[in-house]
Amino acid sequence: MGRTLPSITQEFLQEQASFARFRRALRRSDQIALDDLFASAHKHIAAAGYAAHALPFETFLLAMLLEEHKQVILLRQQMDEKLRLPPGNG
Amino acid sequence: MAELTGWLLDIYTGEEGLTIWLLDEAGERRCLHQAFPVSFYVASPAGQLAGGRAPDLRAAWRWLASQKEQIHLTRAERRDLFAGSLPVLSIEVQRPGDLPGLFRRFSSAFPNLTFYDADLPISLRYAAVFGVFALCHCRVELQGNQVKAITALDSPWDLDPEYPPLRVLGLEPDCNPAHAEPKGVIFSYSGYRYRLPFEPVRGLLANLNAVLRMVDPDLILTNWGDTWLLPKLLELSKDNPLLLNRDPAATITRKAQRTYYAYGQVIYRGAQMHLAGRWHIDTCNAVMYHDYGLDGIFELARVTGLPVQTVARVSPGTGISSMQIVTALRQGILVPWHKQQAEASKSLLDLVHADMGGMVYQPTIGLHENVAEVDFVSMYPSIMAHFNISPETVLLGEYNPRTGLPITRSEPGLVPETLQPLLEKRIAIKSQLLVLPKWDPRRKRYKAAASAHKWLLVTCFGYLGYKNARFGRIESHEAVTAYGREILLRAKEAAEDLGFEVLHLYVDGMWIKKPGSVTVADFQPLLDEIVTRTGLPIGLDGVYRWVAFLPSRMDARIPVANRYFGVFQSGEIKVRGIELRRHDTPDFIKELQQQMLDILARAPDAEQARGLLPQVQALVRRRLADLKRGRVPPEKLIVRQTLSRELDAYRSPSPTAVAARQLAEYNKDLRPGQVVRFVYTLGKPGVRAWDIPGELDARTIDVSRYSTLLERAAETILQAFLSKGIETGLPLLSNLFCSNKAPVLQE
Repeated sequence: MGRTLPSITQEFLQEQASFARFRRALRRSDQIALDDLFASAHKHIAAAGYAAHALPFETFLLAMLLEEHKQVILLRQQMDEKLRLPPGNG
Repeated sequence: MAELTGWLLDIYTGEEGLTIWLLDEAGERRCLHQAFPVSFYVASPAGQLAGGRAPDLRAAWRWLASQKEQIHLTRAERRDLFAGSLPVLSIEVQRPGDLPGLFRRFSSAFPNLTFYDADLPISLRYAAVFGVFALCHCRVELQGNQVKAITALDSPWDLDPEYPPLRVLGLEPDCNPAHAEPKGVIFSYSGYRYRLPFEPVRGLLANLNAVLRMVDPDLILTNWGDTWLLPKLLELSKDNPLLLNRDPAATITRKAQRTYYAYGQVIYRGAQMHLAGRWHIDTCNAVMYHDYGLDGIFELARVTGLPVQTVARVSPGTGISSMQIVTALRQGILVPWHKQQAEASKSLLDLVHADMGGMVYQPTIGLHENVAEVDFVSMYPSIMAHFNISPETVLLGEYNPRTGLPITRSEPGLVPETLQPLLEKRIAIKSQLLVLPKWDPRRKRYKAAASAHKWLLVTCFGYLGYKNARFGRIESHEAVTAYGREILLRAKEAAEDLGFEVLHLYVDGMWIKKPGSVTVADFQPLLDEIVTRTGLPIGLDGVYRWVAFLPSRMDARIPVANRYFGVFQSGEIKVRGIELRRHDTPDFIKELQQQMLDILARAPDAEQARGLLPQVQALVRRRLADLKRGRVPPEKLIVRQTLSRELDAYRSPSPTAVAARQLAEYNKDLRPGQVVRFVYTLGKPGVRAWDIPGELDARTIDVSRYSTLLERAAETILQAFLSKGIETGLPLLSNLFCSNKAPVLQE
């Protein structure tokens, strides 16, 4: 509706679409992983909008990295718990 | 000199001055007159004022002096909202009825001049001068039937004004004229209800006139009166006039139908029929009638200063700009005819920062327990009033990425000045509604008023940025959203500092939870902290027993901002964005979703709600069986969709377009913005318009299509309970990570 600039969601979809050729040439299993990455970046779209970075894709990459790092923390936490358990109870 | 008190019903321009209808305390309807000269102003276009000379104005003066209308010309200094004090030529027109014609000729003879106050509704000028508005209780001093003085005895901001005892006549055709040709007209007054056939015409007209004479209504309340009934009656009564107008000297005003685009929707407005001396309101053509009814219309007339018949049919945007015009007239600020103000230039980076809306988060998908929803009270209008944001208070200074351009606070702005009393009244009404018992008769009126105010306040923000609004300027619009984002983030920070988890942010609302916080009192410290940090009023909408934020239908991993449902501790159900809320969902499916939620709302918490799932699933199976066995009445399967463009403009034949074409074959032409009703049928063309003649064969209904719709709607509710992504009150840190697990959809 009468916008001068595309909204952050439009921007996101455009960035995602611009990788359509890249995605097509990937293996099916890799395509799914790539979609996961974009979906994880989508979670932070409000923050990316607020950041109003001139190159939004940098923010999206950082958002993907952020979600990846959260997974790392979570896995590390679970590992620690597993290792701390007395043998036989795991 | 005689004195009279009563209620003002209507004001319009008559032959000489104004015609004023007053309902006096004795119950008499009086037609009064008043001399009321009106002024408009003209200035040289900016930049031609070099050396204080204004050659155009001199020529304009000579032209005006030679016209036949009685006018009085003077030089004056007036204030333009943006340009400051201006030398202007003031044209006082003795008879207000002369102004439109004179101005039309004048503006086409001198198209380069800048005009002010040229096209203002007479009721707004009157409200600005005397503080009197439609339905105002007032005292008049009379000489004969000439008004010499008038004073208001109440104000638009009174919570409980005394309303006049109005006489209402209901009038409607005996069926919806869009569906079939009506054969008679039904009229109703004070408990009586009669039907008169259209044939014979003479009998109908004689009877109708007798009723009009006997009831002498102040308000004729019709169904399809604007678009069908009154035009039809006027056509029938060409030779034998009907007494629809109370003022025999005036004519009935017709306004043409139109379609326009606003807030992302195509909107259709039917033609209008305005009466003189009494009001005509068509409940089918009145704006938001289903929302706030007559009470809301009367409240709007009181606060905006527009006539009752007008305010019933205009958008709330017109209402709020009318209020701004009255403020401007009172403060001696010129009201531009066409806005001159253009957008100031800004750098690309500033534009990237400024051109943003409200902050909208992606909520944490899943089912959450003991969630509080807190909302800022009328956030954008409060921001305008609190931070003095108005088109003229935004300064062209250095851009601040957080709050935009600097705002001057030295003088109250036009928009905050207009909004302040409205906001105060809204808050007063809302707090009354909280304490009034359920049986109190004032509740209904307060609710209608609150709803009417809400729409005024909502559009007020939009009009700040609307390019055609007289007092709009994009920079002030941007300033409001910038403050809005800043304030929401401060609220988020306050919540997180106090140990709450923020599940969702949505422009002016926030959904939060913290283990152990269950009651309203548990959230009070946070509310206080937010008020301290932001300076704006915030309220607790309620605490949910449970609320489910749903993922996108396209991708289960992606949350959507405004698709959720939940049950408050009071048992009240709140639903957004799901089928139940959509206008195009067939009633059958809406009812199913509502019943599913009703069952779940019986449980005191999410765990026990989950225990009720077998009941819910059994209900879905029963409804599915009803559908397959043909036990669902076809009218509950009607899909309603709005025609978004002209029929020729549809490139692919959508069901809506196909149904509209079927109607067109029967000469029922629909305009964009009008609603098409249809059912899905087997084979080609796949739909059947509901409003074409003939019976629908129930065997042709496309049961499998409706089954799919039904299953999808059921799944919307069930997925929240069946998925694995249910939050169970784990410690905060791991809770955060649960958001990664998308619920498994069963598609």
